[in-house]
Amino acid sequence: MKIVVTGANGYVGTRLITIGDKHGHVIVVASRQPPIIQENLWIPFDIYKANLIELPSGTDAIVHLAANTLLANNTDKKSEINAAVNLIKAAKEVGAKFIFVSSQTARSDAPTAYGRTKWRIEQEVLSAGGWVVRPGQVYGGELRGLFGTLVSTVRRLPLLPAFIPAPKVQPIHVDDLAEGLLRIAERGDVPPDVYCLAAVAPVSFSILLDTIAKSRLRCWRGFLPVPVLVINALTFILGEKFRTRLGLERLQSLFNLPVMETRPDLNQLGLELRPLRSGMHPSGNDRRRRLLREGQAMLGYILKERPGSAVLRRYIRVIEQLRGGQALDLPKLFLGYPIFLSLLDESSWTNKITSAEYLWRLDAATVLAEATPVGAYRFLGRGHGVLYSLFSMTHAVLCEVCWRISRMLFSPLVRLTLSQEKGIL
Amino acid sequence: MIPDFDVIIVGSGPAGVSAAFPLVEAGLKVLMVDGGKRPDIQPPEMDFLSARINDAEQWKWMVGKDFHALKMRDAVSPKLRVPSHAFAFDGFERSNKIEGKDFISVGSLATGGLSNSWGCGVARFSATEIAKFPFSASELELSYRRVSQRMGISGRANDDLSDYFGLDEDAQPAIPMDMLHTHLSQHYLNHRKKLNSQGFRLGRSRVAVLSEDMSGRQACNLSGNCLWGCQRHSLYSAVDDLPELYKYENFTKISGFVVDDLTRCDRYWSVSGQNTLSNERKTITANKVVLAAGTLATTRIVLKALDYRDTVPVLSCPTAAFLLWLPRLLGAPRLPGFGLGQLSFALALYDNITAFGSTFATTGIPLSEFARHVPLRRRYSIDLLRGLLSSCVVGNIFLPGHLTVAGAKLGRDESLVISGKYDDKVMPLMNEAAKKVRKAYWRLGGMLLPGSFTVGRPGGDIHYAGTLPMRESSVVGETSPLGEVKGMDGVYVVDGACLPVLPEKSHTLTIMANADRIGRQLVVLKI
Ligand SMILES: Cc1cc2nc3c(=O)[nH]c(=O)nc-3n(C[C@H](O)[C@H](O)[C@H](O)COP(=O)(O)OP(=O)(O)OC[C@H]3O[C@@H](n4cnc5c(N)ncnc54)[C@H](O)[C@@H]3O)c2cc1C
Repeated sequence: MKIVVTGANGYVGTRLITIGDKHGHVIVVASRQPPIIQENLWIPFDIYKANLIELPSGTDAIVHLAANTLLANNTDKKSEINAAVNLIKAAKEVGAKFIFVSSQTARSDAPTAYGRTKWRIEQEVLSAGGWVVRPGQVYGGELRGLFGTLVSTVRRLPLLPAFIPAPKVQPIHVDDLAEGLLRIAERGDVPPDVYCLAAVAPVSFSILLDTIAKSRLRCWRGFLPVPVLVINALTFILGEKFRTRLGLERLQSLFNLPVMETRPDLNQLGLELRPLRSGMHPSGNDRRRRLLREGQAMLGYILKERPGSAVLRRYIRVIEQLRGGQALDLPKLFLGYPIFLSLLDESSWTNKITSAEYLWRLDAATVLAEATPVGAYRFLGRGHGVLYSLFSMTHAVLCEVCWRISRMLFSPLVRLTLSQEKGIL
Repeated sequence: MIPDFDVIIVGSGPAGVSAAFPLVEAGLKVLMVDGGKRPDIQPPEMDFLSARINDAEQWKWMVGKDFHALKMRDAVSPKLRVPSHAFAFDGFERSNKIEGKDFISVGSLATGGLSNSWGCGVARFSATEIAKFPFSASELELSYRRVSQRMGISGRANDDLSDYFGLDEDAQPAIPMDMLHTHLSQHYLNHRKKLNSQGFRLGRSRVAVLSEDMSGRQACNLSGNCLWGCQRHSLYSAVDDLPELYKYENFTKISGFVVDDLTRCDRYWSVSGQNTLSNERKTITANKVVLAAGTLATTRIVLKALDYRDTVPVLSCPTAAFLLWLPRLLGAPRLPGFGLGQLSFALALYDNITAFGSTFATTGIPLSEFARHVPLRRRYSIDLLRGLLSSCVVGNIFLPGHLTVAGAKLGRDESLVISGKYDDKVMPLMNEAAKKVRKAYWRLGGMLLPGSFTVGRPGGDIHYAGTLPMRESSVVGETSPLGEVKGMDGVYVVDGACLPVLPEKSHTLTIMANADRIGRQLVVLKI
């Protein structure tokens, strides 16, 4: 397909181009400046001079991402709406689908001009039979957009605010958003409408920050409770200059985000969003890395030594091919010190399915570990004589007794860590 | 119309090949068809222990490239998890539309059938057992000898089970025992009288495994690969009989022809089914049809052709397994050795019931098979077993097949549903057996490990029989003394389905002898 993308040099745009290329589309970049790396076709496009844009013939869809987030005055608003109207016209002329990327804040009575403008454009798009996408809190990938601001804030501040009452956000990974946009462009069975794309369950803003700290920056950050009232007061007291510098305005728009019902739209597009923690990893997907760590722990626990890379790869393949490919989210303690897996048994898990899955994986790790030359020594022994056998058996039984006692003592703690780990997902 | 063949034999397992020999030798035009599955994984080339220590790619035959062993985690027998045996069980239930409800239903679509993976235990039925057959014991005598000589049996020994097995005149010497079994049998000699009076008899296992080379197959070299696949063909499989049959021009075989229908046309039978390669349907005609598709598949073909909707009985032996520890041999080195039954025992229980069992070395079996059942943290159960297992043997135990109350019924969708449970007597009998086994082996210097005696699930024996039993005067749902299906003249059942009894001992040799007997009589009838 031939897809024109406005705002192609932006945060979402760059990912949309990369992923669109992967899907085998011809992407035409519509931007003010020609792209630095000229891999894609380019047509000039400027929001403020969009009166006469002509789309290349054979364009199948246009994704309109270009926007001005500041909207200083009324002229800005007007030209933004104007640009959209012109684009819609141009799209009609070549018979291309028009897909507009709006905002979660779009409302006729939105508190910001930004939200109201988006709403106005949405109306234009819908009445022209186009598609509107409202993304949630976009994160992941390059440090740009609001996400970039958040990451650098978390990096700078040792103590982060935990707002009270906690505002909720609905994150979506930038690649998942790009994928969703492409699906609308590609598929014929998605009727024109407003599509809300974001995590189904809102997470509190503090968890978002905490995940940025842990998964993106690999650091630990403390949280300081801050009543929202205080921020509101600050916004009022501090001058405009400070407000912008501290990003307080943007923050404030977070506090009154409406919750979006996204499940039906995600289903309509068949879009499966990656979990927040996985998407927050710098690679954009730490599923494999987490499986690897799980494999290291499980196999290491069985073999009593670091497992070789071949058997580790096999463990990952097994989980991917037979068990859906997601790691179990064992707490760090177990990943770092596999011997502590001795604390786990059926009763440690709050949920039966996870418990059964853990036992399945333990069996799988046992079978895989055994079927290696290292495993042959570990499992078969070499016939060490009576004393050695007696010693190793007694040792095994004594260890068992110790771990049983420890398990009894620590079982509430273990259960708590396990259930908490699940909560973050 | 002239039919395509004189006889069509459905199935190339032990029953099929045993019926084929007399028919082919008599010059009849015989077609044999089967499900056609073939092995696709090479068994290890070195002996088991060397392969374990040296072969970096051992996971391919231990776990399987498609992780077969893990996919089959909940299957009843370790054999069902072995990748090189996967072909033997693959697709059977689906293609034959067989469904076990609370009952394990295993079968084969392979060339050679389940004998590709069997335990090679062989025995003759006793005079009392054969008395329940609708013909005289002497009719089976010659057939027993013929098939025993053809397949190659070892384990000849003048011991307390000679009569129980009844095979010594046609058997090769026994395969050497390992240290543990030698220890047990020596102690047995010292306590024989006492144990006999308690109803416990011990002897060498009689197995269809060569201890001397025979017709192109090599004698066992104690490689320890019995579970994984024997490169030397020391273990009998019906596949080994096919080259001999191919020598006859009047013998034809089609592999990958799954029969699902028998219909009468004129005086002939037409056999139809699906070619598994081309997916085309095919129909072939013959004067007579011999069914040897394995008890469950044969039963379905017959019930479907008869449109018989009542339940027929299924005989199946209740089983249990146990682990026996020989403290005196603690720390024994792991040595290569024979992996199938080395010693067997017969045990008298109350109500005139006899239990039969065998003991095996643990070396060739993955330790993970045991570790799963040890109530210790996994890490320490491996530590414990690694010290313990080299001085342990595993045992199994079988009770007579009538103690499983099971039935097979053709459902509305034409699938055969097998369901059933153990008779109420089974648990008390198993408890008694456990007690007696514990006591007997204690005398032999063995300790039944606490908690290790585990009763299997119904159908787990994979010895199914008696669905269409031979009777003197048969009614619909039964067969004549020749295995001829009542209501289907010219269709003969020669596999386990036609056995009227299923004792506790290995039954395949009797299936084969009976198939041979029926084959011979068909030749006589034809003339
Ligand atoms: C793990 C295991 C251990 C065993 N151990 C012992 C033991 O120690 N001693 C003992 O006596 N027995 C043992 N048995 C049982 C023994 O293997 C069977 O009793 C024996 O193989 C039965 O032979 P059969 O010819 O009747 O059927 P099978 O061996 O099942 O052969 C069936 C044949 O029919 C073909 N077939 C099936 N369906 C169709 C169809 N619809 N159309 C065309 N062809 C079809 C198959 O391809 C195959 O060739 C064991 C079985 C297993 C699985």
